[in-house]
Amino acid sequence: MTATTTVPAPGRAVPPKPRPPWGLYAGLIACAVVTVWAALGIEFTLAPLFSDLTRGREVVAEFFRPDWEFAWRVREQWLETLQLAVVAGSLGCLLALVLAHMASDVTAPPWMARTLKALLAVERSLPDVAWALLAVAVVGNGALAGILALFAFNVGVAAKLTAESVDAVDRGPVEAATAVGASAVQRAVAAVLPQVMPNFLSYSFYVFELNIRASLVIGLVGAGGIGQVIKTELSRFQYSHISAIVAVFVVVVFVLDQASAWLRRRLI
Amino acid sequence: MRTVGTRPPAAGPVDGDRPKRPNPWRQVTGSLVTAVVVVLCVVTVDAQWARLSEAPGILGDYLRLMTRGVLQNPMADPYTDYWSKAFEYMVESLQMAWIGTLVGAVLSFPAAFLAARNVSPRPVVFVTRQVLNVIRAIPELILAIAIMLPIFGLGPLAGALALGVGSVGTLGKLGSEVIEAVDPRPVEAVAATGARRLHVLAWGVLPQALPEIVALWLYRFEINIRAGAILGAVGAGGIGSILTQLFEARLWDRIGITLFLVIAVTVLVDQLSARVRHRIIAGGGKDPVAGEAEALA
Repeated sequence: MTATTTVPAPGRAVPPKPRPPWGLYAGLIACAVVTVWAALGIEFTLAPLFSDLTRGREVVAEFFRPDWEFAWRVREQWLETLQLAVVAGSLGCLLALVLAHMASDVTAPPWMARTLKALLAVERSLPDVAWALLAVAVVGNGALAGILALFAFNVGVAAKLTAESVDAVDRGPVEAATAVGASAVQRAVAAVLPQVMPNFLSYSFYVFELNIRASLVIGLVGAGGIGQVIKTELSRFQYSHISAIVAVFVVVVFVLDQASAWLRRRLI
Repeated sequence: MRTVGTRPPAAGPVDGDRPKRPNPWRQVTGSLVTAVVVVLCVVTVDAQWARLSEAPGILGDYLRLMTRGVLQNPMADPYTDYWSKAFEYMVESLQMAWIGTLVGAVLSFPAAFLAARNVSPRPVVFVTRQVLNVIRAIPELILAIAIMLPIFGLGPLAGALALGVGSVGTLGKLGSEVIEAVDPRPVEAVAATGARRLHVLAWGVLPQALPEIVALWLYRFEINIRAGAILGAVGAGGIGSILTQLFEARLWDRIGITLFLVIAVTVLVDQLSARVRHRIIAGGGKDPVAGEAEALA
């Protein structure tokens, strides 16, 4: 009994300590440096939270007196927001479905897939507000600008996500389709589409949800929907109007979020 | 060759015993309803579709003006100023996104543990999740207008904090999913040594979850760079503030320069961050998903 516990078995010595992870240390130091630099750059301080909390009191107080009647008065803008989201989302996702097939090695020649993926990355790097500003400049204020901005924004997101699903399909059916002499389009329709459809539909819901959120942003620069109402009320300092709209907006997004999470769980 | 002909029929379903076609009515009604809704929206939306025909021409003109701005010698007099101004605001955007992500990371870290079913008791999980869901539903823009701008005043700090609080919802939710997915065996092993609860979390759960949580932070940083753009429109700093001004003044050459810089910096940061993320998650090994990051290289 005593012998077994005191004598360590040969070859079962303690494993050597791993090398100190210098790369990790360097990374951590780099992060710390970037943090200090960024904090100095934006003059980071939490002091107003303790000293000046009352500075925003009037605005915040207004926010706690929401004017519910106003939220109903702008029902047409709510409807417009939904319309924008549906139109831009559906058209954007349809185009994205085609682009995704052209941007994947599985269904397209490698050079095409590469170029298209790079183009999509560039397309996605512009934020939604830049698209909205551009759309307003081209077609003027209103719903059409909103549709165009959301459309451009949606194509990038949906095409990227769907292309990744296309990349990940089971190659078996694709090979089988090739073996019976299917053309590229036939192969995509018969072997790839059925596999990516559940994912694609779930991305479409996600895009629709994104659109509702983005509608605030694009409206703020004049591209229609409920965001435009917020812009007007903001310039008139009608915070009680804004708070009512925001409250409704948050509830709508919350419900949509839950609904789309439920739908996506059922689809995949 | 003969064997092919004499092979016995494969065991399994015999002819005439083929599986039935699945009932298509749900798919058909689903597609029909979607189509009707879309058509209805296209018809009823108050959009001046007629303007669409002129759009390509106008867009072409603007694009030409923008490209001309980008192609001007950046060392020549006004253009140096344009580039450095745009760069300055882009850097401010990056700083806002970085600090915002950090604030979100710090706030969401405990929240992720509280929202993980394998760590916290059920009522705590439920309450935390609902709180996170509500935060997720509030756009950064609203946080900026309603809370941060009144308290912190105009400027990038308000924007950074709006981004930070806005990040908590997603980071907390995704983080809790990561924590729920950890291998329970190391956790059990630590618990079996009689470790206290905090030690179980620190030595059993955290080492497994941390790489993916850090990857989430980086991912959120990429998102925050884009999300921060709108905050400039309401005076909360960053690239959006100069962008809205330029668009109002229709200075197309400067718009071109600014957009070019936005694209370049964003693509660069995305790639860098994607590389680091894959490195963190996959360790030193080759990761198949890294192909996306390499597509541009």
